[in-house]
Amino acid sequence: KFKLNSLILAGLLCIRFRKPIYPVRYLSLCPRRRSRRPTVAPANSSRENFWVLIRGEEMSDSEEHQFESKADAGASKTYPQQAGTIRKNGYIVIKNRPCKVVEVSTSKTGKHGHAKCHFVAIDIFTGKKLEDIVPSSHNCDVPHVNRTEYQLIDISEDGFVSLLTDNGNTKDDLKLPTDETLLGQIKDGFAEGKDLVVSVMSAMGEEQINALKDISATSNLPC
Amino acid sequence: MGSNGGGDGAGFNTDALEGVRAILLKPSESLDESTRIAGPDFNDAGLGLAGMLGSLASTGFQASHLGDAIDVVNQMLDWRLSQEKPSVECDEAELDPKYRESVKCKIFLGFTSNLVSSGIRDVIRFLVQHHMVDVIVTSAGGIEEDLIKCLGPTYRGDFSLPGALLRSKGLNRIGNLLLPNDNYCKFEKWIMPVLDQMLLEQSTKNVWTPSKVIGRLGKEINDESSYLYWAHKNNIPVYCPALTDGSIGDMLFCHAVHNPGLIIDIVQDVRLMNDEAIHATPRKTGVIILGGGLPKHHICNANMLRNGADYAVYINTAQEFDGSDSGAHPDEAVSWGKIKGSAKPVKVHCDATIAFPLLVAATFAHKFHGAN
Repeated sequence: KFKLNSLILAGLLCIRFRKPIYPVRYLSLCPRRRSRRPTVAPANSSRENFWVLIRGEEMSDSEEHQFESKADAGASKTYPQQAGTIRKNGYIVIKNRPCKVVEVSTSKTGKHGHAKCHFVAIDIFTGKKLEDIVPSSHNCDVPHVNRTEYQLIDISEDGFVSLLTDNGNTKDDLKLPTDETLLGQIKDGFAEGKDLVVSVMSAMGEEQINALKDISATSNLPC
Repeated sequence: MGSNGGGDGAGFNTDALEGVRAILLKPSESLDESTRIAGPDFNDAGLGLAGMLGSLASTGFQASHLGDAIDVVNQMLDWRLSQEKPSVECDEAELDPKYRESVKCKIFLGFTSNLVSSGIRDVIRFLVQHHMVDVIVTSAGGIEEDLIKCLGPTYRGDFSLPGALLRSKGLNRIGNLLLPNDNYCKFEKWIMPVLDQMLLEQSTKNVWTPSKVIGRLGKEINDESSYLYWAHKNNIPVYCPALTDGSIGDMLFCHAVHNPGLIIDIVQDVRLMNDEAIHATPRKTGVIILGGGLPKHHICNANMLRNGADYAVYINTAQEFDGSDSGAHPDEAVSWGKIKGSAKPVKVHCDATIAFPLLVAATFAHKFHGAN
């Protein structure tokens, strides 16, 4: 009878935790098998007849979730958000490009169908203007946009920059920005020997330098 | 003195009276050839619809115009080429009496969107279902309202319902009809995949025109209560040069933002429409136009290219004092060459929701059921 109850409980827990769960006699566990740890409360009070529910080991390598670093975000480049909640100066993905919203106008449900949000946004990397019309109740993709600051170490002949990261490594895979004013500022500042800190914006697997700071005057930041 | 005065006085009175009589009781011309005014006699239990419609011509005012319109439409329906003398340059095949008996008048039917929102849509469906008209011209709402009615109903409201209240409830008012926003949402849901499919089928050889788009929509709706379905089935072309001026235009707009590239060619359609009129010969053409605006002008303009329609019936409430084309009388169209000088066109100043069912009952329906 106890075995039946444990089996049923095991089955339910299997469904809940999505892991194989086996009812095992408590006494048979200790002291021999140390690799498995008993988890859930026993099915009855008698020590001998303990049926304990064990969480079985996964077939896959690890049971625990690993927090993926944002640098190689495989699945989480964007997150969904309801179109009606996206405001001006927010971010949105239009035609697979990450964009910053410049204008939002909504039209209520009417002759044109469901309520719609009309977005005018600028591609954060190319500066092109893109538009989209989305029903307000639909979800839009919003890109994760990260800004990181690096110190500028070197500019190579073919247009790549060498940057100093937080942990002391160099980052060499970024090209100079295409924006002329920014490009001029970087080249001139570097040629004059100033200490420059560049702000790199990254979204959806693309990166670009979008701002520049001259820190030669202050001595707070490490070399 | 007294008797003279009396005698003169009496003579003066008679002359004056004669003079007054001559002015007041001027002899009138005899009008025996004209119709006498007489209305329907409801004492007659067997009067019925047919009797009442027959009495319209003699009732007066717009009823008489409607009665005349009924006559004109009956002439349109009864005309056969065999009634005309063969022209000098016609060939052997055209002289065949059987062929001449089979050639009928080409009827252009034009109507505005509000009539499709109303119950007149069902009257139009009857005409199209039984192939009683040859060409249809309408505005954008005339297309979409028919499709929307297959997806969700229109309700009766009132002219005096306050606008702000209706907006807050998501109800759109067309006169005294109410259209819930939901219907348009359903229409949006229905039409988007069709537009996607049309975009895929578009190519340099297969360019969409408004009439082709409408034919496709009629095919897709596949509902026997829709006149567009019957128009597609009976190969009756429906022309709508201003297809974007309605909910369909909104749908095209939203669709184009996501899937740009759909092209709808109005030049091809204007060629087809004008060809309908020009190549109608040896058939005679008749126009039945409900309302004003684009449908009225488009049909009349096409007929201008064949030097005028032979029969014309206008049913609308527009007035001519502002010089608009909608309010223009048929005689103005004669000055343009849109209606033949020898024609006897009729304008009925009446709301088409009253006049048109009566007209159809006395003409198309009468012949249809009479034949059966």
